[in-house]
Amino acid sequence: MADQALLRIRNLKVSFAGFTAVDGVDLDLQAGQMLGIVGESGSGKSVSMMALMGLIDPPGQVSADLLQFDGHDLLRLSPAQRRRLIGKDTAMVFQDAQNSLNPSLTVGDQVREVLRLHLGLRGSALEDRVLQLFQQVEIPAPATRLDAYPHQLSGGMNQRVMIAMAMACQPRLLIADEPTTALDVTIQAQVMALLLRLQQEQGMALVLITHDLAVVAEMAQASAGRVAVMYAGQVVETGTADALFEHPRHPYTAALLAALPEHNRGARRLSTLPGIVPGKLDRPAGCLLAPRCGYAQARCQQERPALVEGVRCFFPLATATAAGAAHG
Amino acid sequence: MQASQLSRHYRVSQGLWRAPAIVKALAGVSFSLPAGRTLAVVGESGCGKSTLARQLTLVEAPSGGSLHIGGQEALAAATASQRNTEAWRQMRRQVQMVFQNPYASLNPRKTIASALAEPLLINTTLSAAERQEQVLQMLKRVGLRPEHAQRYPHMFSGGQRQRVAVARAMMLQPAVVVADEPTSALDLSIQAQILNLFMDLQDSTGTAYVFISHNLSVVEHVAHEVMVMYLGAAVEHGPKAAVLGQPLHPYTQALLGAVPVLKAADRKPRIALQGETPSPLNPPSGCSFHTRCPLTQPRCKTETPLLRQVAGRQVACHLVQG
Repeated sequence: MADQALLRIRNLKVSFAGFTAVDGVDLDLQAGQMLGIVGESGSGKSVSMMALMGLIDPPGQVSADLLQFDGHDLLRLSPAQRRRLIGKDTAMVFQDAQNSLNPSLTVGDQVREVLRLHLGLRGSALEDRVLQLFQQVEIPAPATRLDAYPHQLSGGMNQRVMIAMAMACQPRLLIADEPTTALDVTIQAQVMALLLRLQQEQGMALVLITHDLAVVAEMAQASAGRVAVMYAGQVVETGTADALFEHPRHPYTAALLAALPEHNRGARRLSTLPGIVPGKLDRPAGCLLAPRCGYAQARCQQERPALVEGVRCFFPLATATAAGAAHG
Repeated sequence: MQASQLSRHYRVSQGLWRAPAIVKALAGVSFSLPAGRTLAVVGESGCGKSTLARQLTLVEAPSGGSLHIGGQEALAAATASQRNTEAWRQMRRQVQMVFQNPYASLNPRKTIASALAEPLLINTTLSAAERQEQVLQMLKRVGLRPEHAQRYPHMFSGGQRQRVAVARAMMLQPAVVVADEPTSALDLSIQAQILNLFMDLQDSTGTAYVFISHNLSVVEHVAHEVMVMYLGAAVEHGPKAAVLGQPLHPYTQALLGAVPVLKAADRKPRIALQGETPSPLNPPSGCSFHTRCPLTQPRCKTETPLLRQVAGRQVACHLVQG
């Protein structure tokens, strides 16, 4: 029982009218563990988690060999069964709280809705729980905020409301999709600390999706979590934050790190990866990074590498320097 | 460019029965920006940086203070009749802007060529052929190709659109470009490309930049001078190495401490700030930062600190000794 992973995803694919947004993603997550998913636009990081939550509507098509949460095969559940699970045992928090909250309901009512629907709370039990949640997410003077509308609250405050809604049923898994990107840096620090605290207190698994390497590094290091780097719909590297960021094995991870201003101290120009992420029409036959990769060789143009020991590359970087030197 | 005590107030209606509230969006900002240098303006929501951008690009007239561009006073042309003069138009050409959102700052109904030719059409007497020539040259300079000229913005990625935005800003060879979070909406690898473009253009044209950003690692890379703003005023201002390397103002320290850092060894002490930025409609008395400052003293609640020269930069804090 303790050995069974909380979340098991095998070969998840999501496509929209012929465009492959997620191209065979495998992920595992243990109970209480933290996973950071890092990638740029078009990497498929958000779409893969939304597919897990059942938020991809037609014409989007979702398929997977295995999509298992807490032992339940999500692909085989009826919509009603899925609704009971999603939103209760798993919850999701999105980037722009003001756009994700219902603008015509007070924040109090939105949290009440979750509690009523999933836990059947009523009356004073309901009110107590709402206040308790607002306190848990560190909303100051919570009783006075219950009747506020989202537009009356700041971005940071709205984000806390979203987290309160997500935490309402004490989920076993919380997925946070760029939860701090739209926030000021000092508020970002507060929200990150809150998520970490909640994860530790509740023993909750946390998936953090972000494009910010530093955010994921801090969160993963603080919670002994793992990081997965995604590119063009695939996971290209996984590992602990330390391993990934000190000794990246995939050229894309290395390129991302090299593009950080802090890794170019004193240089006038920043190291860059030429070109852009493949779109619908120019998806390579071989490795998806090959057209942009400085280490690409003939095999890379023709074959797709599989994810082996946490890296999807025929010539992972630890060995590439030797190969590169021989190649000339 | 030279700004002296720039300030800007807005009157906000509070309904029929109450006097309008006054929002002091900008409360006395000063700086001096020579050619070829970059001033980074750093701050969070409500600090006044966007208001400052509007004053500098002459979109709005300030409520107080003065602005000089190329030695000439900009405010002299603030009235409607004065704005129709050649002198005013000349001045406006000297300052151009690059906006944050590459998806909203280009006219979707104009081709790239048309968008880039427009500043030349309005401000110069070049022939159509000459304009076309300059458009193609500028496209090349920002890393785009001639065939891109006839396309519409929606056919480009965010990074490419931002290149067009930079090209458009540079068409009139302005003395100053005000860039308001130009890379915040872009992916990391594209951000690197656009920042390189900014650096290359500054090196080759000597354009000065006012670079507004909340991303401190970007600021560290591009800036010569840094000005940290809070609730409409500068709290710390000076050379980059001083302000970012040895921040003296508690807010600067908190800001730097809050930035997530990749390597544990590089992390600065985290100073947890309580609460959020107060509303500019109801600013705190005395030092506007005192409600969140971990070092608040009684004096901070009653007396507003002025910017003083300390350790090679300007700081506005009672607790920082000169």
